[in-house]
Amino acid sequence: MFELYANAIVNGILLGGVFALLAFGMNLIFGVVKIIHLAYGQCVMLGMYMVYTLVVQLKLPVFLACLLTLPVMGLIGIILQWLVINPLLKAKANPLTQLLALAGLTIVVENMAQVIWGADLRGVNIQLPLISIANIFLRTSNLIAFGGALLTLLGLYLFLNRTYLGLAIRSIAQDVESAQLMGINPKIIYYITMAMGGLLTGVIAAFFSPIYAVHPHFGGSFTMMAFIIVVLGGIGNLLGGFIGAFVIGVVTSLAAVLTSTEIADIVALVIFIAVILVRPQGLLGIRVSK
Amino acid sequence: MGVIAFPHLVSSPYLIHIGTLIFIWAFITTSWSYMGRFGLVSLGHGAFLGVGAYTSGLLFNSFGLSPWIGMLLGGLAAVLLAIIIGYACFRFGVIGDYFALVTLALGEVVSKTIIAFRDVTGGSLGFTLKSKGTSFWYLQSEEKIHFYYASLAFLILALLIWRWIDRSKMQKALRAIGEDEIAASTLGVPIIRYKMVITMISAFMTAIGAVLYAQYITYLNPHTLSGVAPSLEIAFKAILGGMFSLWGPAVGTALTVSLEEYFRVVYGGTFVGFSQIIYGLALVLLIIFLPKGIYGSLEAFFKRAKDH
Repeated sequence: MFELYANAIVNGILLGGVFALLAFGMNLIFGVVKIIHLAYGQCVMLGMYMVYTLVVQLKLPVFLACLLTLPVMGLIGIILQWLVINPLLKAKANPLTQLLALAGLTIVVENMAQVIWGADLRGVNIQLPLISIANIFLRTSNLIAFGGALLTLLGLYLFLNRTYLGLAIRSIAQDVESAQLMGINPKIIYYITMAMGGLLTGVIAAFFSPIYAVHPHFGGSFTMMAFIIVVLGGIGNLLGGFIGAFVIGVVTSLAAVLTSTEIADIVALVIFIAVILVRPQGLLGIRVSK
Repeated sequence: MGVIAFPHLVSSPYLIHIGTLIFIWAFITTSWSYMGRFGLVSLGHGAFLGVGAYTSGLLFNSFGLSPWIGMLLGGLAAVLLAIIIGYACFRFGVIGDYFALVTLALGEVVSKTIIAFRDVTGGSLGFTLKSKGTSFWYLQSEEKIHFYYASLAFLILALLIWRWIDRSKMQKALRAIGEDEIAASTLGVPIIRYKMVITMISAFMTAIGAVLYAQYITYLNPHTLSGVAPSLEIAFKAILGGMFSLWGPAVGTALTVSLEEYFRVVYGGTFVGFSQIIYGLALVLLIIFLPKGIYGSLEAFFKRAKDH
């Protein structure tokens, strides 16, 4: 019995690494562009379909397929900024309208996936060995995803804190008007942020591809998951999202072992509702007076 | 007049079926707009659909309880859920996009709950209602036309309630709250009470609509009656038509249902997602450029033309 729980905790931590990436992307976009990217999971799904197409239909090696997916997803981020988010910002739409427009976008993306790839499960189907340490079984694919996610996060951290571009992004996130006075063009920063966010969905898709098979409604559950984490850590709070990812990873995988996956999802959703109601600034957030 | 005579003019049961679907969903989207037009945009009305339909459906299949009574009980169960989530949201001042997110999660919670208790509810596969032939007491009929008129009657009821809300004091209070909550509260408008009342009415009606739909289709499934997809669909049908006008939600529903059916008939199974893509694109464009919706914008246009 103990091993079962230990297994659940370890796998929860491993999944938490990828969830942390997901939350990072959403937080970054919210922090800079001030948009809740409700179609983020759907973008990850598109990335996974892209990997699938390159590997299974075009017979490319998995590694190359993943590398090719990255710039395409970055481009999709830029296109989204151009066609959807810019018009929204231009129309000075309120947050609710923005949310609804992006919800509409999820319908477009999901059904496009269904028309192009059909409703069946699509997976790249690579067999990676299981590793066993003291009766705890680890999937190599999960380990790679975990390590890769942490490295990516470290890279992003260094980028945001050690480069001029990173500084510009952070200053736009903090105060758009002052940043503009310093000669930073927010429009360009928005495009760069969305491109980064898109690139990140490509990275996540690459890590997810060996773990999950993808289907047209695959993205929705990951958007929800990213959301739950982001809200738990405080919207726009990068560190909070990082910690929240591991909390949610462990809690859901433990709940799944104890009961069922549906109950695990319900637990996560109820945490989400409770946090929005009682501490909308997130568990780590600083209370801002209304 | 046209809609009442319609079934006698065309004998096609298919068109009557489409009409019935439009009326039932228009009833639900109109009920959704009671809240939506005052800034309480819920993305979780699927929760009320699920609670209503499953309460009535399970009681009918297990105990043979009449769906008329089940409708009432399902409605009350939805009201109870609305009280819990509504009070929590309004008490803590959750509004706008945050309210939308909480309700979105609520719809998912109900959907997952239905799936988790698969021993009772049939899980993802759903369950079929026992057949009773044609019976008014059991709200089942082999004649499509019965449901056509029943759902039309329900839709008219929903439109009358809209009118009634419009004439009530509640309308003024809710509009003030929707525009500026803090200003309204300083003027002594009891914000929480008014929001609760409209949320409860909307939840009750939505649950009733769900029972009607389940009785017509005689099949219940968590993916069509709860969760994110139907929740968003209800909101979008109303927004597409225009949630601020009496006829907006009904027009939006009629447009989307017909569009979906048209694509299904003309292009068949290969393009199942195709109508949805167009629908989604139209939505995104409308939300950005015509926030009043199709019917709402036309109405505003003609009003302006008349004033000049």
